[in-house]
Amino acid sequence: MAFMKTYIFHVNGMHCQACELMTESEIAGLPYITRVKSSLKNKSMEVVGDFGDKSDKVIAEELSKILAKHGYSLSLEKPEERVNWSDFKIAVPIALAFIALFIGLQKMGIVNLVSVDSVSYGTAFVIGIIASLSTCMAVVGGLVLSMSATFAKEGDRLKPQILFHAGRIISFFILGGIIGMIGSAFTLNTGATFILGLVIGLVMLTLGINLLNIFHSTKRFQLSMPKFISKHALGISKFNHTLTPLIVGVATFFLPCGFTQSMQIYTLGTGGFLEGGFTMLAFALGTFPVLALLSFSSFNINKSKKSGIFFKTAGLVVILFAIFNIINSFVIIGLIPPIFNF
Amino acid sequence: MKSTIISIIVAIAIISGAFLLAKDSSLGGTNLPANNVSIIDGKQIIEIRAKGGYQPRKSVARANLPTVLRFDGKGTFDCSLSVRIPSLNISQILSQGEKTDIDLGISKAGNLKGSCGMGMYPFEIEFQS
Repeated sequence: MAFMKTYIFHVNGMHCQACELMTESEIAGLPYITRVKSSLKNKSMEVVGDFGDKSDKVIAEELSKILAKHGYSLSLEKPEERVNWSDFKIAVPIALAFIALFIGLQKMGIVNLVSVDSVSYGTAFVIGIIASLSTCMAVVGGLVLSMSATFAKEGDRLKPQILFHAGRIISFFILGGIIGMIGSAFTLNTGATFILGLVIGLVMLTLGINLLNIFHSTKRFQLSMPKFISKHALGISKFNHTLTPLIVGVATFFLPCGFTQSMQIYTLGTGGFLEGGFTMLAFALGTFPVLALLSFSSFNINKSKKSGIFFKTAGLVVILFAIFNIINSFVIIGLIPPIFNF
Repeated sequence: MKSTIISIIVAIAIISGAFLLAKDSSLGGTNLPANNVSIIDGKQIIEIRAKGGYQPRKSVARANLPTVLRFDGKGTFDCSLSVRIPSLNISQILSQGEKTDIDLGISKAGNLKGSCGMGMYPFEIEFQS
């Protein structure tokens, strides 16, 4: 006689919206399970099924074996959520040193190094390098760091980064070509720049706080697709990890970065698809070394013992950049007077 | 640990490379007259150099005169090429070749504040009556 019973397990490793679907779909496939429901909020899983007279402990072990390949495990007791505060002892100085280097570069007048009357592909490349070290780092670099660290935390290290950089470099060539061909640039007005800057700032702030891993309530604000959409998107988490970095890569063409805009203004005078395309391509390639350093810094970090320090450092840097972007957004609409003075 | 050292070396190489490649030929670019405000034919002209910020950062001018802001954005590729003055609803991208004039109309007494398109390079003009 079938005997249905309801069990509640705590799930270790549950950190994303897609995890709910992933764990549910694995367990639901078993013949003796009637119903399974995962919850990200409680990091738990409710299972209804007929396990005969096996003890709770044995069931948890059995199901853990099935989920182990995805990096989850079940337990009866709520896993102790430890916030490793000692990581901050190292993370805070590193983050401050990074920000000090960033401010130092601006104060030294790195942007004044650009002095050209005509732009060759070589100078476009050099301008790209300088742009990536300028305040644009707070926008584009901050976005790259927050995104790559977030993906790394979810265990996907290489692919999103490659997609982001491919999307960025290819779109700079194509969009640069279009600007060169039609002779007009995409310029955003003040309102659009404000909204874009504010949205980027808030996204970075959310991701940065998530990276710190101290407030579990922020998980609720986590940027993820509503479940009913992701359920229909095949391959569960693939959607987030493929399309998002690609779109963000393309979107960097339009982000509020003075250098990118100036290059676009220059490009519209080049008068042809190939000239415009190669100018923007050279510029994008110039920005690549610094952005690559930021995005691939998270490569392989998840397995390391120091990963806690890395994610907290990245989180702090991202939060500071986010605040910088949000304040500047309010400055450009005149709500508050300029605060930063580089 | 190895990758950390490599990252640091690469970072130093990029930064020093940027300084070496670009040379510092531009640092003498701020040769504006000490007084950047002039009045020609009853029109007040305020000259500001836009490159890696705005020089001078603060100008003192006279109020109640037709006023033009004349920005020099020669060879500039940074944010200062994009000028924003929120209170007058001005958003202008400067020319990288010639000087760009922004007509302020008849200026009122008070402080006019503006910044670059991303907000981190400010400038200010004090109109005295």
